[in-house]
Amino acid sequence: MSRGSGGGYDRHITIFSPEGRLFQVEYAFKAVKAAGVTSIGVRGKDSVCVVTQKKVPDKLLDHTSVTHLFPITKYLGLLATGMTADARTLVQQARYEAAEFRFKYGYEMPVDVLAKWIADKSQVYTQHAYMRPLGVVAMVLSIDEECGPRLFKCDPAGHFFGHKATSAGLKEQEAINFLEKKMKNDPAFTFQETVQTAISTLQSVLQEDFKASEIEVGVVSKENPEFRVLSIEEIDEHLTAISERD
Amino acid sequence: MGDSQYSFSLTTFSPSGKLVQIEHALTAVGSGQTSLGIKASNGVVIATEKKLPSILVDESSVHKIQSLTPNIGVVYSGMGPDFRVLVRKSRKQAEQYHRLYKEPIPVTQLVRETAAVMQEFTQSGGVRPFGVSLLVAGYDDKGPQLYQVDPSGSYFSWKASAMGKNVSNAKTFLEKRYVEEMELDDAVHTAILTLKEGFEGQISEKNIEIGIIGEKKEFRQY
Repeated sequence: MSRGSGGGYDRHITIFSPEGRLFQVEYAFKAVKAAGVTSIGVRGKDSVCVVTQKKVPDKLLDHTSVTHLFPITKYLGLLATGMTADARTLVQQARYEAAEFRFKYGYEMPVDVLAKWIADKSQVYTQHAYMRPLGVVAMVLSIDEECGPRLFKCDPAGHFFGHKATSAGLKEQEAINFLEKKMKNDPAFTFQETVQTAISTLQSVLQEDFKASEIEVGVVSKENPEFRVLSIEEIDEHLTAISERD
Repeated sequence: MGDSQYSFSLTTFSPSGKLVQIEHALTAVGSGQTSLGIKASNGVVIATEKKLPSILVDESSVHKIQSLTPNIGVVYSGMGPDFRVLVRKSRKQAEQYHRLYKEPIPVTQLVRETAAVMQEFTQSGGVRPFGVSLLVAGYDDKGPQLYQVDPSGSYFSWKASAMGKNVSNAKTFLEKRYVEEMELDDAVHTAILTLKEGFEGQISEKNIEIGIIGEKKEFRQY
């Protein structure tokens, strides 16, 4: 007679369930969806763009302090989808790591190294009982010196992949289906097309048209390799271009 | 390896004498993507399916087969993140050996140390076992070698082995096809055919990964 479901602990800490699953990790994924926000990332020929919803729950809140886009270094950006508090811890640690890397090795931390570091940290939380996994999916983007534009997504399970386009959050699956159709023939998007694809995917999946103040857009491009967040005017330009195009 | 509040092990014996967490870890391995390895007379080949969750994933960013030293490579079935941890620890151990003895680490030693790490995580406080089984392929002075390491930390040397979703079909296929003194090229062919047996969908160079080590003792992956 075996212990069956591990005394019910398998739902509280990250030990295996009888089917070989880690419930805590699966619940962490649900926590990312529970935040109610969807994010999109698209990689073009020489640029990368990430878009996320900006939900400000209270009119009294200072909306400039609500953000999910964080610069890690001048050239590395991170979009965190899920629990904001967990996101801030992750960003703090990532900034420290990136700065140490630059100091130790004399060159900027490449984006795949950062993605791997985030994923490895997440893996530790899935294996050690003393810390729960973070309820955050992180998308990191940058223009790599050797490989060009790169977009990586890291999840609470410790997986990380490079992506041509991806999504995270509430409507993740619908967005990925939409993007698969758009990216089927490996299109090489220009900067404008990259941004517009990202924004229009979000619009189509959430089935609503946005105002510029309701979304956040972060970009890196070969001409401008510094990670920057688009201003309201720039977002407005893209939104107008999309609606004219349709 | 024990952590503050968790000075007790999470992997404990059941009344029937089984370590249930390890069994669950093996279940996790069994639901992972199929991988296999074949030892030839003049080399070893390891191969795995590389099925990605979406066509949007950049397949060149995913490496399921990794080298631990220039002449030892490894593939896994099970949880990718756990695999990365083991690769990192094994590489460090190989380097430490080299620093001490000024010699590349023999395959058996590296396998033994990696297995010891996996065993630690089945006994220490506050941690769970690794959800991966490894196939370690290497070529050293003793010739070509292939080892399989399980989440429990036990390891065996194999002439050919498979793990993951399609393990029973793959092993039956390998048993039929394996010949003693097989050449490396034949082994590579057999490996690809075995993968094809259980493959859902069209097999192509983009959704499998192969690692080969021959007499020149240089591990190469494709």
